[in-house]
Amino acid sequence: MDGRQLRDDDLEPVGFDWSKLRKASPSELLIRFVFGGGIALVAAISGSVFGPRFGGLFLAFPAVLPATLTLIEKKEGTTKAWADASGGVLGAIGLAAFAFTALQLLRANPVVALALALLAWLLVSGGLYFLFRETGLFLKQDKLLTQSH
Amino acid sequence: MSTALIGLKALLGGFAVVGFSLIGQAGHPKRFAGLFSAAPSVALASLAIAVIDKGASATLPYAQGMLIGSAGMVAYGLVSLVLMNRLHALVGSILAWLAWFAVAGGLYLVVGG
Repeated sequence: MDGRQLRDDDLEPVGFDWSKLRKASPSELLIRFVFGGGIALVAAISGSVFGPRFGGLFLAFPAVLPATLTLIEKKEGTTKAWADASGGVLGAIGLAAFAFTALQLLRANPVVALALALLAWLLVSGGLYFLFRETGLFLKQDKLLTQSH
Repeated sequence: MSTALIGLKALLGGFAVVGFSLIGQAGHPKRFAGLFSAAPSVALASLAIAVIDKGASATLPYAQGMLIGSAGMVAYGLVSLVLMNRLHALVGSILAWLAWFAVAGGLYLVVGG
């Protein structure tokens, strides 16, 4: 892993460059659609057969990540794929916040519950991102997970 | 659940994944973009359809399962980082699925299905 590249990543301003989407390849999007649709199918069918709590497990299954990380590695190198995956860990903590919020509010008002659950995901994963970035926790995590190599 | 609704869940789940992945693709830097790799795309589509189909109370167990699954997802993320460093993205990120199955499956068995 290129430590300097990861340090630079944490110094780059946060934002969105929508012009990058012009470069999005239809075949890559199709792969993501197939894996995403596939895991939704697994969740729905296993929920019908083994019960909804079992099916619900697959709503937080990393079905698309291997394809995403492999594509990033191919185009931009392993360090960039690693950076994406390290953000994914924080997104996953946000997923727990999403599920928890939905659980608390679904019975009261399902539409508001799902909207607030999405907001909870955004705030928790985004908040953790800035915490990890500003305090250097990302770099400590990089060191910890790569040191035995 | 009818076949049509299962198909609708798959279709909307696929579109939601593509939508969030486009946001991720536009996002920078890479670690920030990575947050969108673990966005609740399939969850949002599936829970919304489950609410419409069966009502809010019947949807709660799906969200309970998802909470357990998200613990597996955190484990997956950490293990995939360790494995990617040794085996590269494709092999590492697929082998890390074992961590998801171990943690999500283990918790599911402990908490009770």
